[in-house]
Amino acid sequence: MIRRIFYVLSIAATLVALLAGRPATRAAVTGVPPAAGVEVKIDNFTFTPATVTVAVGTVVTWTNRDDIPHTVVTEDKAIKSKALDTDEKFSYTFTTPGTYSYFCSIHPKMKGTVVVK
Amino acid sequence: MLKEGFLGTAAPRYADVALLLEIAMGVALLIGAVLARMRRFRLHAWCQSAVVLLNLVVILVVMAPSFRVRIGPKIPAKLGQSYYALATAHAALGSVAEIGGLYILLAAGTNLLPQRFRMTEYKLWMRSVLVLWWIVLLLGLATYARWYTPHLFR
Repeated sequence: MIRRIFYVLSIAATLVALLAGRPATRAAVTGVPPAAGVEVKIDNFTFTPATVTVAVGTVVTWTNRDDIPHTVVTEDKAIKSKALDTDEKFSYTFTTPGTYSYFCSIHPKMKGTVVVK
Repeated sequence: MLKEGFLGTAAPRYADVALLLEIAMGVALLIGAVLARMRRFRLHAWCQSAVVLLNLVVILVVMAPSFRVRIGPKIPAKLGQSYYALATAHAALGSVAEIGGLYILLAAGTNLLPQRFRMTEYKLWMRSVLVLWWIVLLLGLATYARWYTPHLFR
């Protein structure tokens, strides 16, 4: 009886794990890393530098050096990356002057700013 | 924007709320077990049923959407990483525990199941699910720590 119960529980656990997984259909990296631009490093739950000032037309590349996923998102979702695994990059070209505050949607205490002049 | 948590970690508020709720529910299940030992079966039934149903809401509203977006697309390829492995183990075993709890609720608390589907060894089922529930709770704590505390694994 006990063996039957654990057998059923094991089968159920395996089925759930298999059903939850599905192959990745899109890469988290968008675009091609620019030849020139500004890099923001993501490490230890921090964007470094926290604030960058760039000219219009500059490409900013976020690189995740942390050992867990992070994202780069603005409040209005104008900038929205996929979840970046370790060593994955996300690039965005800023074409309009302004101040862009962004955060990690997984860890909302992580915040950064891009000032475009 | 997601609200920041209040437990001093990098977690969003909803994760902190879910964590505290799950700990409270785990303790409530133990209290429910004590009620059964005291032969307060009606109170025991209400206590355990409330926990199982509330946990189902937490799973559907918080955990399943988070798993589907963050973990599902990355497995099985990333199961070698603790970030994904802990969450997957928690989800898999947690699903079994919740299904087990719902089955006990239906079998012992209602007449909805045909007789042939009802368990006869109540104590074995209930104690097994209680033990599994606490294993899942500990895996959930480990998942929270891995996801939201910067310095624990460095």
